Amino acid sequence: MAPLFRPGTDSVLRALIALALGVPAVSLAGLLLLARNPLGRGSFSPREQPLPFDHRHHVGDEGIPCGYCHEGAWRSPVAGVPPTQRCLGCHAQVWNQSERLEPVRASGFDGTALPWNRVHALPDYVWFSHQIHVNKGVGCVTCHGRVDTMPAVQQVAPLTMGWCLDCHRDPTPWLRPLSEVANLTWRPPGDPRETGRAVQAALGVSPRTDCNTCHF
Amino acid sequence: MPLLTDPARTDVPDAPERARAWRSLEEWHAGGPGDEAVSREHPPGAMLPPEGVARRTFLQLAAASLAAAGFSGCFRQPPEKILPYSTPPEGLTPGVPLHFATGLEWNGRTVGLVVESHEGRPTKVEGNPLHPASLGAAGVFEQAALLGLYDPARAKTARLQGVEAAWSTVRDALRERARREDGGAGLRFLVEPTGSPLVQALYARIQQRFPSARIIPCGVGVADGRREGTRLAYGRVLDVVHDVGRAVVVAVDDDFLATTQPGNLRAARDFVSARKPEAMNRLWVAESTLTLTGGFADERLRMRPSQGVALMLALAAEVGKGTGGSTLASGLASLRVPTPALTDAQRAWVRGAARDLLAHRGQGRVTVGPGQPPLVHALAFAMDEALGNAPRLIEPVAFPEAMGQLPGELLDGRVDTLIITAWNPAWTEAVDSGFTRDLERVPFRLYHGLHEDETAALCPTFVPATHPFESWRDGRAPDGTASVLQPLIAPLFPGAVSEVELLSVFAGLDSQSPYDLLKSLWRERTASPPDFEARWEAWLADGVIPGTQSAPARAVLDEAAVLKAAREVPEPKAPEGLELALVLDSRLYDGRFAGNAWLQELPDPVTKLTWDNAALLSPATARALKLEKGDVARIEVQGKALEVPVLVLPGQPDDTVTLALGHGRERVGPVGQGVGVNAYTLRSSSLSWGGGITNITRTGRHHALALTQEHWSMEGRQLALQFTQASFLAKPQALESLQEKPERLYPPNALLKSDRHQWAMAIDLHRCTGCSACMVACQAENNVPVVGRDGVLRSREMHWLRIDRYFLGDPDDPGFITQPVACVHCEAAPCEYVCPVNATVHSDEGLNQMVYNRCIGTRYCSNNCPYKVRRFNYLEYQRREPLTQLRQNPDVTVRSRGVMEKCTYCVQRIERARTVARSAQRDVREGEVRTACQQACPTEAITFGDLRAPDSRVRREHEDPRHYKLLNSLGTQPRTVHLVRLKNPAPKGGA
Repeated sequence: MAPLFRPGTDSVLRALIALALGVPAVSLAGLLLLARNPLGRGSFSPREQPLPFDHRHHVGDEGIPCGYCHEGAWRSPVAGVPPTQRCLGCHAQVWNQSERLEPVRASGFDGTALPWNRVHALPDYVWFSHQIHVNKGVGCVTCHGRVDTMPAVQQVAPLTMGWCLDCHRDPTPWLRPLSEVANLTWRPPGDPRETGRAVQAALGVSPRTDCNTCHF
Repeated sequence: MPLLTDPARTDVPDAPERARAWRSLEEWHAGGPGDEAVSREHPPGAMLPPEGVARRTFLQLAAASLAAAGFSGCFRQPPEKILPYSTPPEGLTPGVPLHFATGLEWNGRTVGLVVESHEGRPTKVEGNPLHPASLGAAGVFEQAALLGLYDPARAKTARLQGVEAAWSTVRDALRERARREDGGAGLRFLVEPTGSPLVQALYARIQQRFPSARIIPCGVGVADGRREGTRLAYGRVLDVVHDVGRAVVVAVDDDFLATTQPGNLRAARDFVSARKPEAMNRLWVAESTLTLTGGFADERLRMRPSQGVALMLALAAEVGKGTGGSTLASGLASLRVPTPALTDAQRAWVRGAARDLLAHRGQGRVTVGPGQPPLVHALAFAMDEALGNAPRLIEPVAFPEAMGQLPGELLDGRVDTLIITAWNPAWTEAVDSGFTRDLERVPFRLYHGLHEDETAALCPTFVPATHPFESWRDGRAPDGTASVLQPLIAPLFPGAVSEVELLSVFAGLDSQSPYDLLKSLWRERTASPPDFEARWEAWLADGVIPGTQSAPARAVLDEAAVLKAAREVPEPKAPEGLELALVLDSRLYDGRFAGNAWLQELPDPVTKLTWDNAALLSPATARALKLEKGDVARIEVQGKALEVPVLVLPGQPDDTVTLALGHGRERVGPVGQGVGVNAYTLRSSSLSWGGGITNITRTGRHHALALTQEHWSMEGRQLALQFTQASFLAKPQALESLQEKPERLYPPNALLKSDRHQWAMAIDLHRCTGCSACMVACQAENNVPVVGRDGVLRSREMHWLRIDRYFLGDPDDPGFITQPVACVHCEAAPCEYVCPVNATVHSDEGLNQMVYNRCIGTRYCSNNCPYKVRRFNYLEYQRREPLTQLRQNPDVTVRSRGVMEKCTYCVQRIERARTVARSAQRDVREGEVRTACQQACPTEAITFGDLRAPDSRVRREHEDPRHYKLLNSLGTQPRTVHLVRLKNPAPKGGA
């Protein structure tokens, strides 16, 4: 009688066991990696907005400073999105017949809000204040990137806790003089650390890393 | 190394007058912590899932929702919208809260408030420091009113003769009713007493248009005895301003610290400010149930409610004898009380109080509670006048003043239109008044209220009312100071109508908005100054209108009338039988807050009862009647009966049954429905505050009372310390063993490295009255959920700050002390050593941080916490409904199920203040960070600040000889210290 199992059976069995254990393990690891990956989180894709607002045009071409619309960044935890009346401040004069601006005019006339899609969202258990960062020499571009080159704004920084802590532990490479905070194209003249140290000394920058700094 | 032996009796310094402290009668009898099951932190059943959904069903639901959410739900954040303003409101920066001065009116008196508003949503009620009735403090009702604003059970739509209708339709019908020829003979208004000049002006205008119409006050009226007392003593009704900041205060059945009394916040501040540890005043209290005021007393006496007359006659006689000289004094001295009417202890108390009053002429005050008859009040005024302690009298602030009960002919057959703006008269009126029967005879009856309550059910025409934070109005403080009460938010339910709008239809002024009416009234009242607009803005910003305080009333005591009444009163006899005392509930008032979950779950400051009311009996009476805690008893008085659970309260006078009104509501929405029993069923017009011979029998049934008194027990150690002033001054080093740093094995906490700030708190028991305002403040500020009656029965309540109540000594007549305890932020925190995931760690500034997003819910931390201040979310308590979310403080994380939480020292306030200060290149200054509990406290008992700041108040208190650290022998180094309470009892044998 021929042997019930051929010589290769052991190998097949081993391969099957390896597959049975390996596939779930690899897919679990893959999911975990995906969950931590910008690709899976969808955080780095440009976010569609209810109307085609283009920062390239407003910031890049017209040179409107960040604080003109996001003035809250200097005195509030949230930078804020401008009220419709701010849009109409200019667009009552320019492009006031444009088809694309119809939602803005509608919002301005009937008082309803324009439903913008949030691009930079932190979890609800994180408290973040723009005010302190902007007033301690952290530039807009450091976290938000070259908004003046984005047709639709997208997230450029991971906004993870590790990323926050990197800077809170050693902020010097990222600091700039207060006058340049909203300047998207400013580069430190020499060694970024050199400039950063000067700013740190001048503004008393001493970021905290205790949990309660952001979580309460 | 923490001591492992039980330091229960050893870590308390030796003081001869120290009586044993205990939390409940069970603990007293057991000689240690009481009910084993209850005092465990996580008692059996604490982990059970809620009934109604079985475990399998729950798992199925959970699995289904997971599948529905899909895997992407695990790592993609839900999309969020940003909705900017179309036109931004003036002065608003999104993300920065605004604060508006406004106020709330209670029984005709207004407390000035400052309300925090986040992008138009009121989220926190605080006191207005500029307002005389608040001085920066806010009581439990004022703060919890915020929850009432967002109550989903509020009435939303109007009805006209039983048919749903818009307000404009109802208004047209009312205009039709107001077009009448009879001069208003068939027109009646049933209203709450109000101090509002605007509403009073509307009443005057209505009265002018309809001379025969009647405006009738209604409501339980807390000042009836006092008001009639002024009529007897001074010939007309006057308001008495409670000025209890005196050297000697004798309070007879007067709980002036109670939340139910108008002006209690100011009275508490005045009284405690006159009670400095180095120069103390003395408080004599005779009372018919244990109250916070009685707990604060230096000499407390138990009396039956009916003994007020005998006690005051005896006190007046003693005072009269001692004063001498005047006709008033000799008249008072001639009063007699037969011997059996008072016990020896009561006579001794009377002699002592009289001696003290005589020794401090011109600096004393005799004050009487509203439940006592007018004569008792009149005798108090007479004594004060004889002793040169002239009472502070002003012309009445509120009109029409509450009458306690309705006149009999109120609703005779001629009445065709009845407008009810008073709160729920069908519920509060005496059972024998026939009100509901008369009401149904009126063809057109309109009820204007916040809820579809019991009165709304009897009125086919109904108009939903606006919440006080939704409408324009004005009001007056107990001392007469006027305020403009501005709205914080447009009516949440568009159908709601304010009282002013409703009344202005009858006043013929409905073409003007309430705002215009208010503004033109005040323009008129101030003789239209040229800078009126600027002044108006200033009044709105400050919350008070300067110079509007009432002048003292010119009133002369009618000695003859008082003495005549005192001689003609039926001779007091020896009391017999059981007596019933009906009181306003410390949390639900007359029942209007029965739908308010914060107040339902707030433990009564004295009994620590939540979600219920109970008949309070003294231990001796309960023994005689063979009743125990939770037994349901049948109370009969004057042919009416009620079945109530019994609660045995140490310190309650014997043979007195105290029962709180306001519970057992029938139509109140899901929160208060059927909670407690309705004591109004025993309230007849002749017995508005009880009395009479009561009969109590056992029913044999049992009701589980949701008491928090034994929850979170610190194992019987004596923690709330009290000394007499004399013994403490003689031996101030008695506390040294609780102040020094004990030896420890662990090295000092290396994390405490910040040289910028070191945060700390001090709680002065000498100033703490136990009013519980801090608990509500904490709940509102920190999004603390309520857990319901079942939750409290399982020790799941979530209050970060609890107020422990200890009795001292003899269970029949014990001492009483309250002690707020929240996380004490130990420098060497036992919780931190045991957390497996570092979810609780120390900050460099001394905060014991709780990191919700790391917590996996092992509960090791709370197991290892000797102070029992950590709270666990057993269930998903936070309802994610739009109305609830509107109310929540956006600065504080809303915790979900399975997460531990506890006091954070209001770190969100620290961080906000730090952001502002550091952005301006400076450090946080003293006074810039105030915790919610500190802010609400009427007596400034709680201090928070920076230990490193050389001039900070918290540092002074940390160095005060009265300070001590809770459970110091454990070596935890708490950052919150307590300061001992001092008492100033009368010297034995003479003042």
